[in-house]
Amino acid sequence: MSEEITIEIFNHLVSLAALELDEKQAAYLRRELNQQLKAIHELEAIPLDVDLKITPHGVSYTLETSPVLRDDIWLPNPNPDEILAQAPKVEDHYIIVPDIPHEKLD
Amino acid sequence: MELCDHAAHQLLNLLRSKQISAQEIVESSLQRIATVDGRSGSLDSGEETDQDRQSVHAFISVTADHALDQAKKIDQKVSEGEQVGLLAGIPFSVKDVFCVKDTYTTAASRILANFKAPYTSTAVQRMQDQGAIIVGKVNLDEFTYGSSNESTAYQPCPRNPWDTSRVPGGSSGGSSTSVAAGEVPFSLGTDTAGSIRQPAAFCGVVGIKPTYGRVSRYGIIAFASSLDCPGPIARDVTDAALMLQVIAGADSRDSTTANLPVPDYLAILEQDVKGKRIGLSPDYFQISYMDVESGEIHQRPVHEEIRAAVYHAAEVLRNMGAEIIEDIPMPNTRYGIPAFFVISRVEAASNLHRYDGVKYGYRTPSAEDDLRVMYRKTRNEAFGLQPKLRILMGMYVSAAQYSEQYYNRALKVRAMLRRDFDQIFDHQGKYRLDALLTPTTPTTAFPIGDVYGDSVLMQYADQFTVTANHAGIPGISLPAGIAADGLPIGVQLLGADFSEPTLLNIGRAFEIGSQDEIWRTQKPAVLL
Amino acid sequence: MTEYEVVIGLETHIQLNTKTKIFCACKADSWDDEPNTNICPVCTGLPGVLPVLNKAVVEKGVLLARAMQSDIRMRSFFDRKNYFYPDLPKGYQISQYDMSLASGGYLDLPMPEGYTRRVNIHKLHLEEDAGKTKNAGKQRLIDFNRCGVPLIEMVTGPDLRSANEAAQYLIRLRQLLRWLGVSEADMEKGHLRCDANVSIRPKGSDQLFTKTEIKNVNSIDNVRNAIEHEVERQIREVEAGNRVHAWTLDWDEEKNELRKMRSKETEADYRYFREPDLLPIELTQAWLDQILADFPELPMQRKARFVAEYKLPEYDADILTGERNLSDYFETAVQLYAGDPKKVSNYLMNDILRMLNESGKTANQLQLTPAYLAEILNMVDAGQINTSTGKSLLDKVEQSGKSPAKIVEAEGLGLVSDDSAIRAVAEKIVVANPKEVDAFRAGKETLIGWFTGQVMREMRGKADPKLATKILLELLKL
Repeated sequence: MSEEITIEIFNHLVSLAALELDEKQAAYLRRELNQQLKAIHELEAIPLDVDLKITPHGVSYTLETSPVLRDDIWLPNPNPDEILAQAPKVEDHYIIVPDIPHEKLD
Repeated sequence: MELCDHAAHQLLNLLRSKQISAQEIVESSLQRIATVDGRSGSLDSGEETDQDRQSVHAFISVTADHALDQAKKIDQKVSEGEQVGLLAGIPFSVKDVFCVKDTYTTAASRILANFKAPYTSTAVQRMQDQGAIIVGKVNLDEFTYGSSNESTAYQPCPRNPWDTSRVPGGSSGGSSTSVAAGEVPFSLGTDTAGSIRQPAAFCGVVGIKPTYGRVSRYGIIAFASSLDCPGPIARDVTDAALMLQVIAGADSRDSTTANLPVPDYLAILEQDVKGKRIGLSPDYFQISYMDVESGEIHQRPVHEEIRAAVYHAAEVLRNMGAEIIEDIPMPNTRYGIPAFFVISRVEAASNLHRYDGVKYGYRTPSAEDDLRVMYRKTRNEAFGLQPKLRILMGMYVSAAQYSEQYYNRALKVRAMLRRDFDQIFDHQGKYRLDALLTPTTPTTAFPIGDVYGDSVLMQYADQFTVTANHAGIPGISLPAGIAADGLPIGVQLLGADFSEPTLLNIGRAFEIGSQDEIWRTQKPAVLL
Repeated sequence: MTEYEVVIGLETHIQLNTKTKIFCACKADSWDDEPNTNICPVCTGLPGVLPVLNKAVVEKGVLLARAMQSDIRMRSFFDRKNYFYPDLPKGYQISQYDMSLASGGYLDLPMPEGYTRRVNIHKLHLEEDAGKTKNAGKQRLIDFNRCGVPLIEMVTGPDLRSANEAAQYLIRLRQLLRWLGVSEADMEKGHLRCDANVSIRPKGSDQLFTKTEIKNVNSIDNVRNAIEHEVERQIREVEAGNRVHAWTLDWDEEKNELRKMRSKETEADYRYFREPDLLPIELTQAWLDQILADFPELPMQRKARFVAEYKLPEYDADILTGERNLSDYFETAVQLYAGDPKKVSNYLMNDILRMLNESGKTANQLQLTPAYLAEILNMVDAGQINTSTGKSLLDKVEQSGKSPAKIVEAEGLGLVSDDSAIRAVAEKIVVANPKEVDAFRAGKETLIGWFTGQVMREMRGKADPKLATKILLELLKL
């Protein structure tokens, strides 16, 4: 049975996902993805033109049961430094990350 | 009987009548943890020992001092005649995806091993506001991805208290273990495809997946935002109702909570169930599984013991006055897992984008000069296999060119499942059910290591529970027997949106109707 | 030699002037703040947080959509736009993809050459802003203060035909945004950001050729400059037989030149899907009516009305509909004055505008209210004060906040119209200046001005000059 996710597609997904994998992991994951796709193909039995409204949630919300929108009132965070304290590298209140090295452009 | 083996509602009575103190309750809980839990889960835990294999390892972190401190404060208040909360003095455990200020919240992942949230999730806050005492954070499948708790980065993983060679279920494995082992009367878990109900069934305890939007998700590390539901795991229906009462309700910090008042869940709990219409569907007695050779999905009947347990539960309820209606058609049940594979992965991949080493959590020590390398190494070094698997599948099926084929089809399935439930629960409809009674799981708890690695088989463990997540409706799993292998069997009640009062009522009726059954006297192996 | 036509489409990001961010209660404006102080768990994408929509963002979006004559969707959806970038804490931006708040619409640009260019709007959608990054050697410094600020993105069709038209679009848009009160629209502060899509084609063709995108241009002049440079460059390339490539370009304002930017994933698949943490935006008719209840007359319509109703010249009407506070001020003053609107207009365009420029105030902040201005004008008309007193009153009222009448009384600025008082002074002047009297009687009638001046001087400007002249003439012709 041909595999839907080939090595090329897999490698492309890995780079899209900002991952990098060793060979063993890559092989295992690619195999599992293809297995899962077989289960996913069960969905092909569902006709696309089924006239059924798609909603983002299973439960339906009415105007009454939907939460009220937020009023435009400022509530300052009393401790923004607690958030900075979680960052791996901070200098002068900035969060520091490495840059993307620039390629030479014409 | 130890204090820690009592139900919370019993402990509350004893506490209020000053027969015991909160301190005694918490001490009993900590004592039980010390006896049965063994090593807490941790990163780089080394080889498993024989001792490990006899313990249940529900916890990742135990906060004993804090808990005793809280208990003292409550005892002080009680002695001074001050008002205390609805759950004052009762210890509980929290699945380690609920942020609790100034404690580590790890999602059982290396990538958040050092993360201390500067805020507390709403559900936990509400428990604490009512005086309940956190005893510790319990283990789970990494980022809640799994149905066995084996994928946690914090090993040893939790073990089923009924037989420690078996899984406790997942992803709320630590929650169900801590309750079944008597470590705490109740635990806060989350349910995205059955992650409360399935481990509850495997461990012989009660688990509720509330209606989507009934309980706030604020502060919970997300898996699939349109499916996740926080909820209680408890020893009996009354305790589950008590806990749900405290955590339910709208939250201005969660735009998907329903703006609906919370009913009094305890008020109608003990009402009789005369005339309640409870359905049985043949579609929930067929197990879908993937044939190893062909890769095709086939069906076979559910194990006879499990089927018998459900029918017995129906009998008990019939004897209490309920009407049992068979042959309820739920033909789209079989598409629940395939649709879940798509929808949950799309959302999960997106929800995991934020773990990039920039703002919190793990950052690779080895990429000083290239941001892209930093991203890749960070995520590779700190995500386990299961997150990687979900991210990659999510990337694949959400690609623009596949959105019709996969994502939109899956959303249609969700709408179809929803419609199926709407039809059976419609008061003007053909069946007019108050609840649908089904098995919770296709099997009893499987041995550790038996299924892990086969991601399709593992996901199909949720095939009877996932339908409620798609539809958003509530579900409750109740212990309903012990199988020949000595493991608990759970049955599930599903109902219409916000029908938790009905489900709890029927569940309580079943509890009462089966209270003298022999299997209820059996105890988990670790407590013998 | 081929003649070329320029085809330009603009993508603008407009920062709304709500008090708080779109999905959390941090401030929307943190221009002057220390980095990473205007942040909270939600806008920094901490684990477990959820967005909560700011009602005012929707309301300002609706106002803008109405002003652009767009079709407003009664139900619109948020979507996630997924990509990795350090200034995007969640790794996705909450935006609107296919069911945005509004679609369609247009903005008419009257050009100085005399024609009007209609620019079609494809889409208007709400989204959250990202943080800011800056380079420091091999590192990037990230500041999340701006993360989550509400933005409206508006995309035009390829309808502009010159750099000047593009500049006009921005000028008109900025005017409109301030007029509606939905944005400060200050390009230098990033309240209004513009990306330009530029291509050329042979005149007469209606094909669309490869376009380049010019990004991060931070002023209207720079937009004009950058587009002009790019058009020249494209023409050069095409004339030299080369193709135009779909580059992304950056404008270096110091060097006055375009730079090619590193191409991001040009075919980036953002894997849009409905944002599950938010419900759809539901505009009820009642809410919509409420938002639009005070929808103002827009500048172009008002200008036309000023010309027709008040008979103002176009030039005046243009200035008096440039900014809403000034415009409302003018109209209020006109209605209270009930005299010739041109008089009011003169005061506004000269004295009031000068006052505003010097003080940095907006017209609604003046202590010299429209009512007070009208009062001054009425007093001059009634001869209670002369015009120069009137002018001096403008500043006095603005400084003190007191009413003109009170100041006139307190300082005795009122014109003396008392016949006998003036007569007494006039007689004195006549007696004291026999030479001039003779000259006048001999025929030098222009001396009457000098005589009047003398009386005015003697009375420190407070005489009614007309009356003084009349009395002097009487005395002199004796």
